Amino acid sequence: MSATTIPDYGTLGERAAAGLKPKGLSDEQKIAKAKEAFLAGMTADMATYLESCIHCGMCAEACHFYISTGDAKYTPIYKTEPLKKVYRRELSSMRLFNRITTRDITVQDLEDWKELAYDSCTQCGRCSLLCPMGIHIQSMIQVVRNGLAAAGLAPAELQAVSDEQKDKGSILGAGSDKLREVVERVRAKGVDVPLDKEKADVLVLSSALDFLNDESVLEATAKVMNKLGVNWTIRSDGFESANFGALSGDRVAQKRISKRIIDAALASGAKKVIVAECGHAYPVLRWEAATNYGKELPFEILSVAEYFGQELKAGRLKLKKAGNGASHVTFHDPCKLGRMGGSFSEARDILNALGVKLTEMESHGRTNLCCGGGGGVSMLKSALPLRQKAFELKRQEVERTGAPTVVTACNTCFQTLEAGKAWLNWDKDIVNLVQLVSDNLA
Amino acid sequence: MNEGLYWEGMSLLDFARGPALRWAVIIFVIGIVWRLTALLLASRKQLEPAKGSATSGGMKTLLTRSAPAHELEKNIVFQHYSGYAWHIGMFVVLLFFAPHMLFFKDILGFGWPTLPNLFITFFTVVTMGILLVLLARRLMNPVLRQLTTWDDYISWLIAFLPFLTGIMAFTHITFGMRYETVLALHFLSVSALLIWFPFGKLMHAIFIWPSRYKVGAAFARRGVRA
Repeated sequence: MSATTIPDYGTLGERAAAGLKPKGLSDEQKIAKAKEAFLAGMTADMATYLESCIHCGMCAEACHFYISTGDAKYTPIYKTEPLKKVYRRELSSMRLFNRITTRDITVQDLEDWKELAYDSCTQCGRCSLLCPMGIHIQSMIQVVRNGLAAAGLAPAELQAVSDEQKDKGSILGAGSDKLREVVERVRAKGVDVPLDKEKADVLVLSSALDFLNDESVLEATAKVMNKLGVNWTIRSDGFESANFGALSGDRVAQKRISKRIIDAALASGAKKVIVAECGHAYPVLRWEAATNYGKELPFEILSVAEYFGQELKAGRLKLKKAGNGASHVTFHDPCKLGRMGGSFSEARDILNALGVKLTEMESHGRTNLCCGGGGGVSMLKSALPLRQKAFELKRQEVERTGAPTVVTACNTCFQTLEAGKAWLNWDKDIVNLVQLVSDNLA
Repeated sequence: MNEGLYWEGMSLLDFARGPALRWAVIIFVIGIVWRLTALLLASRKQLEPAKGSATSGGMKTLLTRSAPAHELEKNIVFQHYSGYAWHIGMFVVLLFFAPHMLFFKDILGFGWPTLPNLFITFFTVVTMGILLVLLARRLMNPVLRQLTTWDDYISWLIAFLPFLTGIMAFTHITFGMRYETVLALHFLSVSALLIWFPFGKLMHAIFIWPSRYKVGAAFARRGVRA
């Protein structure tokens, strides 16, 4: 099966970053803005986590960036140090004592932590499963990102795309015009795509990351949707799954971007919203959007793997036994769908229905090892050497399964695995689940 | 040499096991209540439909987090088992040394079987040994060094002193001090522990429960066992 040919995310990110205007904040303003965002993120849950750390360092041993480099600074909880310091000095009930023992954060701290909160954290959440105290470190990293973004210190690549998406709704220059163009290409192949239907039961999302250079994922999705015979649509006013506000840590952008999807779904009267194979998009919409919107939503939000899995179980999606090389596979759980999303069985049910032999990696399901590309990290050119080291762990686990094919259900994981093939001259086939389903419709 | 250790007719030992310990217990209880209350702010309500029960997930994680999945645990075997050994050793000495049991019996009104002194001596020595190893590790391991605060050292010392003074009193190796003085120091070290407990790292014995519950609930809501 062939790879899509999107230029690598690092190059795309670099291009986008070139257009970013700096916020022009003074050092004092940077610190003030970061603190304000940290304090806004310190809910009761966060305070409990911040109080609980016993400085045991065990979380390091869950992190692919620490395990693969042995560099102490990649210890997950250390990546939250500025947040911890602000908590100790400003909010903890021990703050009077702490002000003597803990020095205040400086702009240098914030600059230094940029690498730790962005380049070296994919927010995969594995550390949150190991911490003996039960600290949800992943959720704390997001608050660190919120603070850095507020201080204008988010990586330019992510901030530029986040600004673009917040203001124009497009990412990397690909907005509704590009979508229409891609839809036409799919239609030209004889596959119907109901674009901008006024009312529909199912609203399908796509992503520029999927269709920038290639219409294959949209085509595959459309084929399956048509086969299911449901009343579905893609809307040009709300199709982008990705949320660069969440990745950059810009909370205002995150809310506005999610609201665009919510408004589109409400306008179409959809009962289900299907999130494209885009890792972070799923938890951001499924687990945060309603709370940010301030209201419960009258529709379900499902990842495409989850939706296909449910339709399969209900007997509406019929698959034939898979051919062309995909007879023995291993499944790479995208962290954001699995550990951070709660969707494990659906993809496996689909693989089972396809009659392929599935050999699991040692770390799979909730303890899966991240591929190293999530959380916006694949957009950061500065993170490339680190990602390549972390990828080695994934490669080893894949190798041990003996499977020639890796199936996954997230565009970023797919791209990272493809890139890994190129780095390592690796002979694995990387296949996304939507493609596999679409190729084997009964 | 201890003739001078009297104040208003009270010996150091009288003070240590009288007012010092009483006030320490009061500060211990009030401190814990205060620090917990400070955290019991209302949690933010989540509006997304859950995939699983947050409450039952939270309750499960209270226990399951003590034994992480193999693929996670295999990298932390030393920390994990040294942690277990230290905590078990501490509770054995605290609860099953005959004089300790009698002390609690005085307060609670009931007693329980105790272990022979030889066992207790063994557990004390092992426990102190583990504490020393863990301190050395904290001083040398780069991951731990960068996370370490004053609290870690204060809490280490506060946890170590009752063992040190205890074994000194028990073995009568008192470095020239009178037995009563060493016993008084033992009580004072326990008082120090009780007083420091709510304000430093020792409080993790309490915080571990809401923290584990919350992480368990956060993941369970998303349908993930944590």
